[in-house]
Amino acid sequence: MFDMISNIFKNLSSKPATRKYPFEKRETFKDSRGSVKGVDIDTCIFCGICARKCPSDAIAVDRNSKSWEIDPFKCVVCGVCAEVCPKKCLFMDEQYSASAYSKGKNKFVQQPKPAEEEPGKVSA
Amino acid sequence: MIENLTDISVEQLLTEAHNMLFDDYRFITATCVDNGDETLDVIYHFDKDLEMKNFKIRVQKGAEVPSISKIYFCALLVENEMKELFGINITNIAIDYGGHMLLSDDDLESPMLRQQITIERKGDK
Amino acid sequence: MPKTIIPFGPQHPVLPEPLHLKLVMQDETIVEAIPAIGYVHRGLEKLTETKEFTQNVYIVERICGICSFMHALTYCQGIESLMGVEVPPRARFLRVIWAELHRIHSHLLWLGLLADAFGFESLFMQCWRNREKVMDIMEETCGSRVIISGNTIGGTRRDISSEMLVKISSVADEIRDDLKRVEPVFFNDYTVKHRLVGVGVLEREKAYVLGAAGPMARGSGIRQDLRMTGYAAYGELDFEPIVETDGDCYARTMVRLKEVYQSIELIKQAASIIPEGEISVPVKGFPKGEVVSRVEQPRGEVLYYMRGNGTKNLDRLRVRTPTFANIPALLQMLPGSQLADVPVLILTIDPCISCTER
Repeated sequence: MFDMISNIFKNLSSKPATRKYPFEKRETFKDSRGSVKGVDIDTCIFCGICARKCPSDAIAVDRNSKSWEIDPFKCVVCGVCAEVCPKKCLFMDEQYSASAYSKGKNKFVQQPKPAEEEPGKVSA
Repeated sequence: MIENLTDISVEQLLTEAHNMLFDDYRFITATCVDNGDETLDVIYHFDKDLEMKNFKIRVQKGAEVPSISKIYFCALLVENEMKELFGINITNIAIDYGGHMLLSDDDLESPMLRQQITIERKGDK
Repeated sequence: MPKTIIPFGPQHPVLPEPLHLKLVMQDETIVEAIPAIGYVHRGLEKLTETKEFTQNVYIVERICGICSFMHALTYCQGIESLMGVEVPPRARFLRVIWAELHRIHSHLLWLGLLADAFGFESLFMQCWRNREKVMDIMEETCGSRVIISGNTIGGTRRDISSEMLVKISSVADEIRDDLKRVEPVFFNDYTVKHRLVGVGVLEREKAYVLGAAGPMARGSGIRQDLRMTGYAAYGELDFEPIVETDGDCYARTMVRLKEVYQSIELIKQAASIIPEGEISVPVKGFPKGEVVSRVEQPRGEVLYYMRGNGTKNLDRLRVRTPTFANIPALLQMLPGSQLADVPVLILTIDPCISCTER
């Protein structure tokens, strides 16, 4: 019976094990899988490997419209997409994503590269 | 690749289960597999001193299989599960849930079988 | 005397997950118990048939939150033996370390829940405070707290640096010291013993025939622990299963508490003799044939049956989890016990319903 009392007194004299959360946040660990942040869309070659490897079918890649789309509500944050990306252009965030009011998808579209102007050609 | 796998017929099942109990084996579980050609494989796994012994029976879809839950009481959950998910007609289970252990009334029947599913929407005829 | 039926669950303060029991009572004594499960059936076995065998690792991890690493380990070991993949030694040791970390966190969680079930709130908090250290290690080494996704077919996904191994050993020591302070409360406290000793006795023969698994079987004196088969790197570690003979709730608590110490020792052993080298090998081809893979989870033995047909999809993946094996034992334990003991009795099988129904 006194075993627990000694524990309780030790707890009273030691500092708390918890944090005052919203005011004091723990730093994330390095390489923690928080969320899939997005894609560096200019480096992406739209191979679609991430979409095929994704276990929850959260990623949709369209080669024609040059778009990369993730549904963060389907994503299980396993990190496979970032691992298999041949260009290493997918980024994970160490911070987990906050809760949201409405569902939505994160879409990235590659802008068509501006056509380089040929030298010597004078535009009217 | 499964250690000590023996093919037996449905009639031998109860005898073999009795033998296993007599030989001081422990019943682990049973596995049902749809072969895709109207037959199902049911594999019964037994264990003694971490050594496994397996019996495989092959039955037609919807066939009758005697329950071993009177010999090994612990088989009742897995037999109810096989009955529901694969539609094997297992007779004389110690506690028979009548197909409502995991599924409710309006669920699909035997959902683990490979079968053609047609979805009827409301209003369609 | 007339009989009454009292429904227990699916929502009950001691149950983290929905399990429903129909308790047929005579006065305060239970005459019969009929379980009803199916509240969290998700059809994961069917889902695995539609996914690639490499993706299934992430599905089987999500069968259960507490033993997610062990599920992936069982699956990977099965596929590896189907495809004849030799896992590098470092990966096998890493698997042992993570598996034992999972065992520690599962047992500490359970000890806390047990304390909560007999109304010992401060003991509950003490156990969970210790558990938090394990969770932090898992996030630091693998990137996630619970579903750590450490396994892949052919090895592990991440390596643990040598500094981190030293840190893990020192944190393991800390956990042991903290637990040493709580241990006498479980072992000697008058009220705790009153709730546990002699409650829900399961004799050895009965437990064996009912197919009890894990701490449930070991609490009844059955010397059965799949780690004795030496999967992963357990064959190279010094290991002796913990067996208690009383078969009551107290014995099962002792088994789990002692297994925490044992896991700490196993982690320290593995961290001291872990070899250098690769952590995974590339895997080519598709699985073909059928295999049974078994691993000792915190709750007992898990069995995976796999049948591959030479394509990227598996024909069948069947999961038999330890709680599935322990429910029949629970049904035999309940008749004859008091209604007030039911929460403690249900907890001592360490129920994991989402495992059971998949």
